[in-house]
Amino acid sequence: MAMELSNAEKDGKYTIAVKGEIDLYSSPDLRSAITKAIPSASAALHIDLSGVEYMDSSGVATLVEGLRASMEKSVAFVLLAPAPPVLKVLQLSRLDTVFTIKDRA
Amino acid sequence: MTKQDEINIDVATDPRLLASVRGLVRTYLQTEGFSSERASEIVLAVDEACTNSIRHAYGGNTAARLSLTVREQGSAIEFIVKDEGVPVALEKCERRAVPAPDPTSLMPGGLGVQLIYSVFDEVEFHPGKTSGNRVVMRVKRPEKKTAQ
Repeated sequence: MAMELSNAEKDGKYTIAVKGEIDLYSSPDLRSAITKAIPSASAALHIDLSGVEYMDSSGVATLVEGLRASMEKSVAFVLLAPAPPVLKVLQLSRLDTVFTIKDRA
Repeated sequence: MTKQDEINIDVATDPRLLASVRGLVRTYLQTEGFSSERASEIVLAVDEACTNSIRHAYGGNTAARLSLTVREQGSAIEFIVKDEGVPVALEKCERRAVPAPDPTSLMPGGLGVQLIYSVFDEVEFHPGKTSGNRVVMRVKRPEKKTAQ
């Protein structure tokens, strides 16, 4: 399954929901969605990863870049409900403690 | 010479095709009795080797070719990813400690290589003298359940 993105904004909290597979082919689209969203996210940028079936290191790199860019703008960068394949690659990368990870409200 | 039970695929270096390669590897691993979780890790690591060829050996050129061989080697299964691109510097392929979790100093580049090491039992990088790369990755086969 290819990657699908959908956006929502509420009270300064911007959410990008990702579905499908994040790999070398699809990660540039996620990167540009995150870059576009940061100026709109006055308080927080949530990346909903509950529908992600696969993520590779290019996806990890994209999330790390998003975290850095958000920190520069004092925007909270949150990974929302990462699916098991996402958690696994974050753990293998030893980056699971770097991100703020929350369950979906 | 291709062994009887060997898989050889030759694929364009178009990232769009990586999903199909992953599908093939996953199906093979399930047939060989790997758990779904272990299969997912191995699929990821093989994908990282292909991604590295596309990004580093070919500099993102999507019109080159790479090959994947999957074969049995004694008690292991061997995956070989080969390309004809620029040989990758061996020091970039070394196993190293993953950096401390400090987001200001994170270097995501090279993460793929570290993922490959963390998943496979044996990993060898063979950059060619003038061109090409060969990455050999071995994983122990799951023990067959014996009949009672």
